[in-house]
Amino acid sequence: MTKRTQLALATALVAALALGASGCSGTGKGSAGAGAANPAAANDGKILGGEPVKGGTLTVLSNQDFAHLDPARNWVMPTMDFGTRLLYRTLVTFKAEPGQAGSELVPDLATDLGTPSNGGRTWTFTLKEGVKYEDGTPVKAQDVKYNVERSFAPDLTGGPDYAAQYLAGTEGYKGPLQGQHLDSVKTPDDRTIVFELKRPVAEFSATATLPTFAPVPQTQEKGTQYDARPFSSGPYKIDSYDRDKKLVLVRNEHWDPATDTVRKAYPDKFVVVMGLKGGQIDDRIIAGEGADASTVQYADMRPESAPKVLPKPEVKTRLLAESQGCTEMLHLNNSRAPFNDPKVREAMQYAVDKEAVVTAGGGPALNEIATAYLPPALAGGKQADTLKIPPAGDPAKAKELLKAAGKETLKVSLAVSTGDKAKAEAIQQGLSRAGVEVVIDTVDPGAYYDVIGDLSTTPDMTLTGWCPDYPSGSTWIPFVFDGRTIKDKGNQGNYSQFRDEEVIKRIDEINAMADAKQANQAWIDLDATLMAKSPNVPILLERKPLLVGTNIAGAFGHPVWTGTIDYGTVGLKDPSKSQG
Amino acid sequence: MIVYLARRLLALAGVLLAIAAVTFLIFYVLPADPAAAACGKTCSAERLADVRVHLGLDQPLWRQFADFLTGIFTGRTLGTGQYAVTCDFPCLGYSYESSLPVWDLLMDRLPVSASLALGAAVLWLILGLGAGVTAALRKDTATDKALMVGAVAAASLPVYFTSVMLIHGVIRIAGLLPYPTYQAFTDNPLGWASNLLLPWTALALLYAAMYARQSRGSMIEAMAEPYIRTARAKGMPERTVVVKHGLRSGMTPILTIFGIDLGGLLAGAVITESIFGLPGIGRLFYGALVNSDQPVVLGVTLLAAFFIVVANLVVDLLYAVIDPRVRY
Repeated sequence: MTKRTQLALATALVAALALGASGCSGTGKGSAGAGAANPAAANDGKILGGEPVKGGTLTVLSNQDFAHLDPARNWVMPTMDFGTRLLYRTLVTFKAEPGQAGSELVPDLATDLGTPSNGGRTWTFTLKEGVKYEDGTPVKAQDVKYNVERSFAPDLTGGPDYAAQYLAGTEGYKGPLQGQHLDSVKTPDDRTIVFELKRPVAEFSATATLPTFAPVPQTQEKGTQYDARPFSSGPYKIDSYDRDKKLVLVRNEHWDPATDTVRKAYPDKFVVVMGLKGGQIDDRIIAGEGADASTVQYADMRPESAPKVLPKPEVKTRLLAESQGCTEMLHLNNSRAPFNDPKVREAMQYAVDKEAVVTAGGGPALNEIATAYLPPALAGGKQADTLKIPPAGDPAKAKELLKAAGKETLKVSLAVSTGDKAKAEAIQQGLSRAGVEVVIDTVDPGAYYDVIGDLSTTPDMTLTGWCPDYPSGSTWIPFVFDGRTIKDKGNQGNYSQFRDEEVIKRIDEINAMADAKQANQAWIDLDATLMAKSPNVPILLERKPLLVGTNIAGAFGHPVWTGTIDYGTVGLKDPSKSQG
Repeated sequence: MIVYLARRLLALAGVLLAIAAVTFLIFYVLPADPAAAACGKTCSAERLADVRVHLGLDQPLWRQFADFLTGIFTGRTLGTGQYAVTCDFPCLGYSYESSLPVWDLLMDRLPVSASLALGAAVLWLILGLGAGVTAALRKDTATDKALMVGAVAAASLPVYFTSVMLIHGVIRIAGLLPYPTYQAFTDNPLGWASNLLLPWTALALLYAAMYARQSRGSMIEAMAEPYIRTARAKGMPERTVVVKHGLRSGMTPILTIFGIDLGGLLAGAVITESIFGLPGIGRLFYGALVNSDQPVVLGVTLLAAFFIVVANLVVDLLYAVIDPRVRY
């Protein structure tokens, strides 16, 4: 997940501002939800700027290049939004709507959401007629199969691994090198693709929204170089891509809107300008002068810019700040003392001052307190609050629990990425109230996940988050709490090294459910069970603050892609005011 | 002269080899695993092993280093089968992040860093030497003191502070210039200069201050030499005494530090490029460091070392031009 650097001064400013605007006291014990009083949340669920007019150039200002645009390697939420909305279509996609409605699945390349058979072990999709690539050739089922196979190639790293998790007969498979293909993906004709799975997967329709399930014709294969020039099946194609500097997309004339109910493709051109400083991007969009009026930002607005935005009604109306849908957690190392004792772990739930961490993380305008593990989107729109702990914690209760565990004083280590030092200090202060001494180690962001993912170097506590890949508990709980995923090195997700046979058994039972609705409820119930076991402490839910220019229309933060602007429907109010 | 040059070139190769070896070793002992970073969020042990093979990280360190060195002179093929890529001479490997050849990345960004470094160098030489020589010639006067106080103040300001203040004052408050966006000199010379004006100024202020102090000292020393007295006694005009005899002698130590400074900056000014959003080698280096992109870090390090060593060589050769007493 994307980490943001916070400056203590700016943080204090933002926090003070947000608290002042909301009329809340800093020690309020009420719900931590954003509520209507949060000035940053004023546009939640809204589409900014009205209906766009076709034409013009929409510019995206970014601080960085995309990690990977190759659909087999694209597994960063904002890039998945950008890639699947503009450059390539997937079998299924999400509705282009703000709020919970955006989580609804709709067919994209396929005619429907797929047909399960064999008790949910086989899924069949039929491709629409008339879907074409940028050269006018038709998209074929074999091309989807080919990209699924590419995702297994060790050369094409970084992409979602759900195909490897779900498809049958993939052991030892290393991609379509030298003509090796997967027997578990069948293409009886050009428009039919059949996936045979290891086990029933109720939400395979949602899995098919991932870029892994976009088409790549074998004739266009360029290996690792495909990243720089994906072959388009979407409404735009790449005109030029100067890595780390500029990407220009122009219309794919062969994209037929009659086959696409989701993407509107309003602008004639998308230009992504990369490598700009975060503050510079904020300032340019706030000022909104000239061509900057037709810009949106790719990476989050910096917390330091909030005082220039929230008190100004005109600018605030151009701020999107949807919840990212990810939960940031204080991971406790369950594999050794003192956190192998459930009582001590439970004490940590009560000892942490989440309110202080929220302030350190940019203030309540840009963060909310987390009361459960599953993010709101996976829990019916609102997180459960089974422990009902006050936002500032309950140090007295924590002390009681520690006393019961025979650990009245503790000294533990906490490793955080350098950008999270302010949060770590807030955690340190909170725990000190319960007699827990915390020694903070800051780790370079480049090495952080290697350090905390290595059993030999994992400290007592770590701070990191997890985001769902699509709205299903199956993309969240198993990654974070399934003890079978623990390995000596390269651990991802289960940084708590939590291993509980009851939980493992329940994960398998839910995964075997053929009814997606029943499975969703079961994940929510398991979330409550996990909170009682306290493998780690849910801390906060981040919002995604994004500014748009004064000439931008149709902009909203999509709930699935961590609140990133839906690029399929954003456009301009007046295309003649844009440049380029 | 030829023997001297050959000896220096040999030393240059030795320095580059040593730097490459040390950089390789540093990455080897770091906890970051490029294979795990590239592999993704939920990488299985089997896939991680495959990725390690693809990146060549399964080989012993000495073998990786030998392959790297060979690639520089002969090029090499990376990967196997359909996805194999040919890395042409001079091959510095492929970026783990962008999958692009490191050499191409460096050459693509070199014009930006070179524009920044050379423009700033012109500015700081004019300001620094002007202030230093003026102060030396007016030693112990109010002008001298004012110039040196100014130089101390400017030298005390870190470049990130100056940069942020320039952005705030010139762009945000006064609105005199837009945020810098690099334009190639060949595309738009005026746009090139106007967009680089603030980064040049930020860099030049710091260096000019240091050069002013250095050149003042050198000039005072040079102007106290007996041959200056002789020249004046012979009735030589003061201007000729200063420029032809004082300045030439006084500039020798300045030339030494100029070589090192310019050489280092040619391979990227990390802070200035990052703050002003210039897509130069410095910013490339910073991104590679954060992402443990070893081939890029190694490439930039070698390029920086190359520039510094070559700049020093050029400076040493120039000694003979500015100081007739020097012979090789």
